[in-house]
Amino acid sequence: MDDQPLCHHEFPILGSAYFLGGRASTSVKRVLSEFGVDGETIQRVSVACYEAEMNVVLHAVSGYIALDLFADRVEVSVKDRGPGIDDIELAMTPGWSSATEEARALGFGAGMGLPNIKGQADEMEIESPPGEGVRMKLVFRRGDQGDE
Amino acid sequence: MSEHSTPTVAQVAEELGLKVCAGGHKLDSKVEGALVSDLLSFVMANGKRGQLWVTIQTHSNIVAVAVLGGLAGIIIASGFHPDEDTTGRAEEEDIPILTCDAPAYEVAGMLYELGVR
Repeated sequence: MDDQPLCHHEFPILGSAYFLGGRASTSVKRVLSEFGVDGETIQRVSVACYEAEMNVVLHAVSGYIALDLFADRVEVSVKDRGPGIDDIELAMTPGWSSATEEARALGFGAGMGLPNIKGQADEMEIESPPGEGVRMKLVFRRGDQGDE
Repeated sequence: MSEHSTPTVAQVAEELGLKVCAGGHKLDSKVEGALVSDLLSFVMANGKRGQLWVTIQTHSNIVAVAVLGGLAGIIIASGFHPDEDTTGRAEEEDIPILTCDAPAYEVAGMLYELGVR
């Protein structure tokens, strides 16, 4: 993978700003649309980014989404400054959530976020070294590759 | 309306007597189905492009969910009204928001009757 990305963008995410949630992911979607990425890929990236973004909003102090678009794939990194995840395997369990009551009342915290991200992405790596927040790397192979 | 026709958002709004609160210039898209949920993650996981989303959530995140999920629009049921933030964001993002007094269950029934499957 020594190829160069067609573009690189970073979008900040502010923790606890529920009502700004989705701004970063919407920006990602806009960039992919501008570059003519196929709709199905955009949809998968958008959904995964939103779930990752809301995890940062709900649990961390701040973070960002980094987007790298390649001819054949989309790479997304999400990093945050926050408490991290003690037990990633548990957090990946559908239905498990540590969201607050306030967040749940808004329709978040159903414990579907991480499983949904995994379902949308072709590759997902997640790690949470103690004291360093959460780092997630996602790869989506483009449905339109070869049509360039 | 015939069984197999795919109504537009505008036709749905008219047939169901929905009030258009935002995105009035984006009512021409086809409604490719619908789903009912108040859990945002459920909609992200299960929503499909072109669907109408029936909910009683009113905060601005519903717009982000609709944009990112590629939904045709949002119907807010049971007489709830969207926050100002929500309508503002919906206008920016071209997402129709429709409201009605009927509960989600009835809205779903009417959509089904209308041929939205």
